[in-house]
Amino acid sequence: MIFDPNFIARLIPALIEGAEVTVELAILTFVICLVWGLVLALANSAQGPSSWIAGIYIQAVRNTPLLIQMYIIYFGFSMIGFGLSGFNSGLLALCIQNGGYVAEIYRGGLQSVSPRQYEAGRALGMRRSTLYRIVIIPQVVARIIPPMINQAISITKDTSQVAAIAVMDVMKVAQVWVESSANTYDVFLGVAVVYLVLTSAVSIAGRLFEHKLAFAQ
Amino acid sequence: MVDISSDVSSRVIEPQTAVARRPMLAMDEVSKRFGSLEVLRNISLSVSAGEVVVVIGPSGSGKTTLLRCINMLEDYEKGIVVIDGEPIGYRPGATPDQRQRMSEREIAAAREHIGMVFQSYNLFPHMTVLHNVTAAPIRVKGVPRARAEERARELLAMVGLSDKMAEYPARLSGGQQQRVAIARALAMDPKIMLFDEVTSALDPELVGEVLAAMQELARAGMTMVVVTHEMSFARDIADRIVFMDGGVIVEQGKPDQLLFSPTTERVRAFLRRYNDRYRI
Repeated sequence: MIFDPNFIARLIPALIEGAEVTVELAILTFVICLVWGLVLALANSAQGPSSWIAGIYIQAVRNTPLLIQMYIIYFGFSMIGFGLSGFNSGLLALCIQNGGYVAEIYRGGLQSVSPRQYEAGRALGMRRSTLYRIVIIPQVVARIIPPMINQAISITKDTSQVAAIAVMDVMKVAQVWVESSANTYDVFLGVAVVYLVLTSAVSIAGRLFEHKLAFAQ
Repeated sequence: MVDISSDVSSRVIEPQTAVARRPMLAMDEVSKRFGSLEVLRNISLSVSAGEVVVVIGPSGSGKTTLLRCINMLEDYEKGIVVIDGEPIGYRPGATPDQRQRMSEREIAAAREHIGMVFQSYNLFPHMTVLHNVTAAPIRVKGVPRARAEERARELLAMVGLSDKMAEYPARLSGGQQQRVAIARALAMDPKIMLFDEVTSALDPELVGEVLAAMQELARAGMTMVVVTHEMSFARDIADRIVFMDGGVIVEQGKPDQLLFSPTTERVRAFLRRYNDRYRI
């Protein structure tokens, strides 16, 4: 039976419990990727071997499916003797791949600042550190917020793939409930609502942040 | 090459400007190449305190590069630049080959004394007009905010932009942005100002307001090196006009002499072409 109130009343707490895992994964992934992506972007824009190593990494992780990366980490690591939990494997795979995307966002932001801005700062006697702190970084931050919001939304949805390696996120909870109840529509509609609520929250938070840091361009 | 020192001393000099004849800028045999192209060939140029030197010449003659070498935005293979007795970029050695590159920190410190205004304004888009003008004094020189803002207000009043202090650059016209850029450079209390084709990107009706600000600055006694295509402005503002072509100073002299009775055929040909183009 579709839209069975009793069923939905029992389903909601279970989905919320799963959603907590989803939120935890998404936040951890995003925060780690903000740092890891910056490291990659700086390595990629530097001279020497760090540049091509970072370049190959970024290409490789963006051009293979996240699910494959998760399997490689989850099953591969346990094969060679130091198995990670499903949660940690999922988190690692999410960070590895999204770090590549976030690095590209940083790179785009850095490239969007005209070389003339660097010259204007230098001509005023600014040292490198001052120049970056007050001229370059504020402009980069303002420009990367919209693509970062998109990435955060994408990460939130990507976390659903950890269900494949037995992590009890909202997606896995749904699969379990479908198997035990055969009430497919109620469960998956419920899951869709959960993701919609989460991504909307990310959007709204991002929009507020964007508004706060925006300047007339 | 023309001997500059004799030219400077041959200027009519008022008794009280004897002190002001101290050289504010001295470029000594500066050479610069981009790959196989020699952009500057053994350029020597001396500018005294309070003097306004306008550099003219065809595009590609090295005018802008000359300006950019003065504050080390462009590195150069040979030569020394000295601002008010202090080297910027390289310290002279026993021989010209033994010059020593200064550290980035020392170069940055030396740049504080050189104001530069660019063709494309290059204001900081994320800062208000007032913040654009106060940022460097506060963050580079450590001027207290209140004093920096007071000075910025004076300078913005001087360039006629008192009512725009809270605006962002994107809300201003090109002429207004360029006047903010002038105020921003002046806020560092530079010893010399460099102007790199500052009106070339402006709509014709906005050129006047920028030139007026520069004229006021010249009247106030600022030492200036101005690269421009505005010949009548050059004539009005310059104490000396320098004509460059092919990376060398071909001829220099007082405005009326250089513009109306040039001694070299190269300058005559340039002025002929210029007059043909701009005759109405």
